[in-house]
Amino acid sequence: MTSPQARFEASTLPTPESISDLTERVMAFLDAQGVEGRATHHAALVLDEILTNLATHGDCANRPARISIIVEPDKVVGAIVDAGTPFDPRLAPDPSLDLDADDRAIGGLGLYLVRKLTCTLEYTRLDGENRTTFAISRGKASSEGESK
Amino acid sequence: MEIHDERVGDTCVVTAKGRLDGGASATFADKVGSLITSPNPKLLIDFGGVDFVTSAGLRAVLLLVKKVKAAGGSFALCGVQGPVREVLDITGFTGMFSIHAARADAIAALAG
Repeated sequence: MTSPQARFEASTLPTPESISDLTERVMAFLDAQGVEGRATHHAALVLDEILTNLATHGDCANRPARISIIVEPDKVVGAIVDAGTPFDPRLAPDPSLDLDADDRAIGGLGLYLVRKLTCTLEYTRLDGENRTTFAISRGKASSEGESK
Repeated sequence: MEIHDERVGDTCVVTAKGRLDGGASATFADKVGSLITSPNPKLLIDFGGVDFVTSAGLRAVLLLVKKVKAAGGSFALCGVQGPVREVLDITGFTGMFSIHAARADAIAALAG
């Protein structure tokens, strides 16, 4: 049974290798807490995308970001605090999704996924740091089947 | 990420296993892209062992789709796990190529 408010905390540099290591640890933690596979995947994915964006645009390669994850009965709540360039992930433009492969841009999907996969996404700039918090619902979503 | 390739008829079947994220996507795109060498290539990637895909991984997939289509070929995925499938749905990737539950069905579709 999931204990209320189980918590994971870590800090990581925004590099691909460090982000991979962090998300693996987060997934192991959530799995150990009995969190559903979908919520586990999406929580790790949202963390990855925010940190990857920080690595690309944050101009803070040598300053670690602080991460916390809390497991609640109906959701997984995450927080990222970083010293990067001020950036509100809620305001990034949506990519064009209905284009053929030939016309699709390479990139622009990460923060779109963050916005679509989270049930809440909040941002504040405080004391020279970005504070991004999010929640992933533990409710079931339909994603099985075959297409085309 | 582990990548294994084999030829089934005229289809190149790639079996991927592990995480397709920013730490693996460039190598994945390079290795699989190097298999696209002939005109009208048929490329199937079995995602049954892929349990985590980020936008960097999607970027690698899109590069491969573009390369296959530029060569006049066909691209498909099979065995996509539920959360990964949801990511493909959200980002509109399921409208760009075929996704099959079973590898055999995907090979048959590409052969047809």
